[in-house]
Amino acid sequence: MPDVTIDNRHVSVPDGSTVLDAASALGIEIPTLCHYPGCAPQNSCLVCVVSINGSDRLEPSCSTRVVEGMTVQNDCDTVRAARRTALELLLSDHAGDCIAPCQNTCPAHMDIPLMLRQIGEGDLAEALITVKRDIPLPAVLGRICPAPCESGCRRSASDDPVSVCMLKRYVADQDLATGSPFVPPRQPDSGKRVAIIGAGPTGLSAAYYLQQSGHQCVVFDDQDQPGGMLRYGVPEEAPERDVLDGEIDIVRQLGAEFRMNTRIGHDLTLQQLRDDYDAVLLAVGHIDDQLGGALGVTMSDHGIAAERATFRTDLPGVFAAGGSVRQTRLAVRSVADGKDAAVQIDRHLAGNTGLVVLDTYNSLMGRLREDELADYMLGAPELERITPAGGLKRGYGPDEALTEAQRCLQCDCSAACDCRIRQYATQYEADRNRFRGTRRRFERRVRASDVIYEPGKCIACGLCVEITRQAGEPLGVTFVGRGFDVRIATPNDQSISDGLGRVAAECIDACPTGSLVFAGGTSASCGSHPPPTE
Amino acid sequence: MTQIDLSTVEQAVRRHGDGPDAVVPILQDIQHHYHFLPPEALEHVCRLTRITPASVLGVSTFYAQFRHTPAGRHHVRVCHGTACHVRNAPHVQQAIEHHLELGPEQDTDAARQFTVEKVACFGCCTLAPVVRIDDVTYGPITPDRVAETFREFQQTAADAESHAPRHATADGNGHVGEIRIALDSCCVAKGSDQVFAAFQDASAAFGAPLKVQRVGCVGMCHRTPMVEVRLPYAEPIVYSGVTTSEAPSIVARHFRPRRLHQRIGRAVNDWMDRVLYNEPKPARRHAVDVRDPTIIEFLGPQHQIATERFGEMDPLDLDAYLQHDGFAAWRRCVNNHTPEQVIDLIAQSGLRGRGGAGFDTARKWRAVAAAQGHPKYMICNGDEGDPGAFMDRMLLESFPYRVIEGMAIAAYAVGADEGIFYIRREYPLAVQRVREAIEIFEQRGLTGDDETDHRRPLRLSIREGAGAFVCGEETALIASIEGDRGTPSRRPPYPAESGLWNQPTLINNVETLSVLPWIVRHGPEAFASLGTEHSKGTKVFALAGKVKRGGLIEVPMGITIREVVEDMGGGTLDGRQFKAVQIGGPSGGCIPAALADTPIDYEALHDVGAIMGSGGLVVLDHDDCMVDLARYFLRFTQDQSCGKCSFCRVGTRRMLDILDRICQGHARADDLAQLEDLARSVGQSSLCGLGQTAPNAVLTTLQYFHDEYEAHLEGRCPAGRCAVLIDYRITDDCVGCTICAQHCPVDAIPMVPYRIHTIDDVTCTRCDTCKQVCPHEAIEVI
Repeated sequence: MPDVTIDNRHVSVPDGSTVLDAASALGIEIPTLCHYPGCAPQNSCLVCVVSINGSDRLEPSCSTRVVEGMTVQNDCDTVRAARRTALELLLSDHAGDCIAPCQNTCPAHMDIPLMLRQIGEGDLAEALITVKRDIPLPAVLGRICPAPCESGCRRSASDDPVSVCMLKRYVADQDLATGSPFVPPRQPDSGKRVAIIGAGPTGLSAAYYLQQSGHQCVVFDDQDQPGGMLRYGVPEEAPERDVLDGEIDIVRQLGAEFRMNTRIGHDLTLQQLRDDYDAVLLAVGHIDDQLGGALGVTMSDHGIAAERATFRTDLPGVFAAGGSVRQTRLAVRSVADGKDAAVQIDRHLAGNTGLVVLDTYNSLMGRLREDELADYMLGAPELERITPAGGLKRGYGPDEALTEAQRCLQCDCSAACDCRIRQYATQYEADRNRFRGTRRRFERRVRASDVIYEPGKCIACGLCVEITRQAGEPLGVTFVGRGFDVRIATPNDQSISDGLGRVAAECIDACPTGSLVFAGGTSASCGSHPPPTE
Repeated sequence: MTQIDLSTVEQAVRRHGDGPDAVVPILQDIQHHYHFLPPEALEHVCRLTRITPASVLGVSTFYAQFRHTPAGRHHVRVCHGTACHVRNAPHVQQAIEHHLELGPEQDTDAARQFTVEKVACFGCCTLAPVVRIDDVTYGPITPDRVAETFREFQQTAADAESHAPRHATADGNGHVGEIRIALDSCCVAKGSDQVFAAFQDASAAFGAPLKVQRVGCVGMCHRTPMVEVRLPYAEPIVYSGVTTSEAPSIVARHFRPRRLHQRIGRAVNDWMDRVLYNEPKPARRHAVDVRDPTIIEFLGPQHQIATERFGEMDPLDLDAYLQHDGFAAWRRCVNNHTPEQVIDLIAQSGLRGRGGAGFDTARKWRAVAAAQGHPKYMICNGDEGDPGAFMDRMLLESFPYRVIEGMAIAAYAVGADEGIFYIRREYPLAVQRVREAIEIFEQRGLTGDDETDHRRPLRLSIREGAGAFVCGEETALIASIEGDRGTPSRRPPYPAESGLWNQPTLINNVETLSVLPWIVRHGPEAFASLGTEHSKGTKVFALAGKVKRGGLIEVPMGITIREVVEDMGGGTLDGRQFKAVQIGGPSGGCIPAALADTPIDYEALHDVGAIMGSGGLVVLDHDDCMVDLARYFLRFTQDQSCGKCSFCRVGTRRMLDILDRICQGHARADDLAQLEDLARSVGQSSLCGLGQTAPNAVLTTLQYFHDEYEAHLEGRCPAGRCAVLIDYRITDDCVGCTICAQHCPVDAIPMVPYRIHTIDDVTCTRCDTCKQVCPHEAIEVI
């Protein structure tokens, strides 16, 4: 039973244990991509490196056996930097999109492919939940949004993009038409009160999400009706007023209180609000220096000076978002800001003041080359973009929506939620662009098979090779080539399913990325909400 | 599709067995027969053996030897070793591709006559740059000589049938003199085999009482073909740079014909020849006096241990070896010493492994001797893959019995039962000689002779590498013998405890084994008296590059780089100060001339950022771009990475990406910092020695030649080497002689007699041919 020290903590472990085992016994999690129970150490990812006895060299903890008196450094700068580099190297050669390009281009990062799958399956209730997770006013936006998501749609390079905006509106319209639209569940009352200044898209959005988190919001506005720019600022393409009222009413049903005809800095001071509320969100839209001065906040070039990631102003407990901090005429961006500010305010109210929220790592392929696009479109449904038969104002009918939704290429990675490399890349704050170099070619094989293998996402960890070999699979899979070009393949050009044989499920489970997945095994949304990593 | 004859597959399986470990040799036989691996043949292998389709696919795509598409009738292999690289190999490659009209990604010409392949190193560094077409080696080759070389090859191939092979006529009877000609690979490449045949013909025609003797390497590659004439009671006379036509006159000068009519005939023939071919009588300048100062400078500081009796013995003449104390050391070990005593003796000698890392030999032996398990294996690591190093090839070709004796001593010391030579396939002559030596050795029964038959006999066999540098790494080498892809594994366990087939295994380098007999015969003290405190004995180096006198040298440890380059090598070709030496191959580093007084010593070399390595020593002059050189080595290691661990597989590629950007003039200012940072990470965390040492070339050049990197960031290549950053211009000194236009391999210079020529920048490949051929020095690099 050798005694070892990891990060100044001592543990005795059985003979033959690895450093990884010893760390695990101490409850220390060492990141690793190529380690899998029952498999010999692969020594391929080297993300699990540690420093041993102060050596300059770093050793993989999965294959280093402990010896008496060993001292292991797992949490020093050198180790962290090396792990980050290993991840960045692997990701520099990882051709795949974690989230679909449409979701990436959407300012609110709505999980569009999931919504489209749900519409395609006829499950409008679930589709609505998906929409409302990120966009509280979809019926309104469905009428005025310029749909940046559609310019990101990979289908637009081949024929026409999927009609995302119209489909989102369809989902929301169907909901409003029921007369008792969906009101999301609320957390128990937190006892905290938030003052939101401005009942425009940002303020409404923030109220919608803060109410769900159990906080009591009071929305102040100097107009007599809520809606802000959505009601007063878009005269030409103004959405039908009943649609706007319908969606505002849902915010009201969630418990938000509206105090109209109230001007902050005039009827009430910001200081009064700070005294009476646990947090204040300034969502007043465009703001000039004079008004800023009247409120007593510091101004920047574009509006109120606020931290970009946290929305904090220099006044404790006062946040600012939307058009009041930056120039935007994009309603969806304002809505997105309101949602993101709500998350920050919620964290603030929970007392998480010092913690940094890590941006979820997303791998992006960017533009596809001509030859790649052909590969990408293989097996895609050959359907043309549908224009609503009843005219754009009426929108899609049920059959049209179903067919249009099925045009989606499902560009999101179905392993995005449990992808270990993505999780570690987030945790170690990997920089996607640290290593410039030519991106490897996109290839997707056998869309129609029961197992999908995407070579571009493979990090050559070796687990599927090892698992099929151990299981004595008659065909098996193997490494092909050498060096940078090493790939996984099945002999005799047979399908990956044939190679994985009876142990396919185990291989898919072991795969640390989305390179091997079951077809149709797309999991629930987590694209913009990955597993928490602290 | 026509059915192919699969009997070759059946024969291969009969030869190598049907076990999973037979995959590499079976594929080698198939490749040899078809010049590629036909899918039908591979399927047949899986039917006949226990080799799985996954194994065939994995292994056949790992090793560079194997092709999956049909090849042309002839194989053109262009050496890209270090010495060849600095002597313009990339442009030779380009000129060949141009000559054969190959498109991008194409390796075979339209007529399917020639398939062109890049080779890491033939180990013929003193002939650089080298091209081998089938079995014929050409060197040095220049881009403008490519077309001519192909014509010559085709002519020779056409003539080949009409020439019957010549056999040695020496029977040992009545000879009064001897003519010795070295016949190892690089000498053969320079035409020594033809010279050898010419001397046989001449001696037969003259009836001269002499024996024409094949001997091993003499090391003086810069003088080859060399012919040594030995007469009783006389100083030996050495002729260098001998051609076939000179054989008769050299024979005539030293040996009196036996019969009168032969004397008359000779005189007439000699006269006729001169009349018909207007051939001048060979000038005296060819004769080299061994007291010639340059020879003394070259040979003087040398100390032959591994290369003992170089140039004296026929490599395969076992009797000659026995006469010169051959196997005496082994007999002494088995008769007078216990295995422990042998290990102690080697410990006292201070011998460290000559493969590169310099691990203490006795310590390694002790570990194997102490390991539990039977049988134990002994492997001779002859996978010398460093571009720029060829001493192991020379030792195997010239002294096969000495290496066998070393194997026998080591096997006795550690208790090994089976010895395996692992020799890279790029060394066909070494494989052939070792194979023959083993046969002769075993026929003669020396493995279990009268004095030692109470010992277990040592069984010897050969495995040929299949083209993977990483297999020089011990664990990868073992994986390769076991029939796997040559990927290294984590140590511990060390091969000493669990190596080949999980049995205790000793792996020693060729040179390490070669010095063992000398150490035993002369005593460990004699060995330890040479060298420095921690580096004892001698080291064999391959001295090549921009040096006047290149060749193989064995020098005592502790000699300085300056002594080797300037005194022994005679300095650079152009007589200027050398710029740097690259020592240790891809794992080594570049040491600038300012550090030329660094001694050859494991620790001293390590301290300046290089390593001893296997012994490649390439001299660089001011025309060599250090950034280009770093990129050259990175490209090599990147290409040879097994692809297992992330730092090496992707890290070396990203380093290469940066170096490519730098050499192409579109690097960013922060690229240098990122390159250094990444280099340190790759060195720090890679799994095996290949990745751990791969950054050395980059780190040493960054350290010693930082200004050159910075110049590239500004779009300049000070050495005028990086093609994208330079242009060739013809100055007003041009007299319009058209010589440059005639030699330009890509017709970038229009033929305009008596007018100042011009170069088309777009067509120009910056191969430097025009500059080299211009008689008026009217071409400059800007």
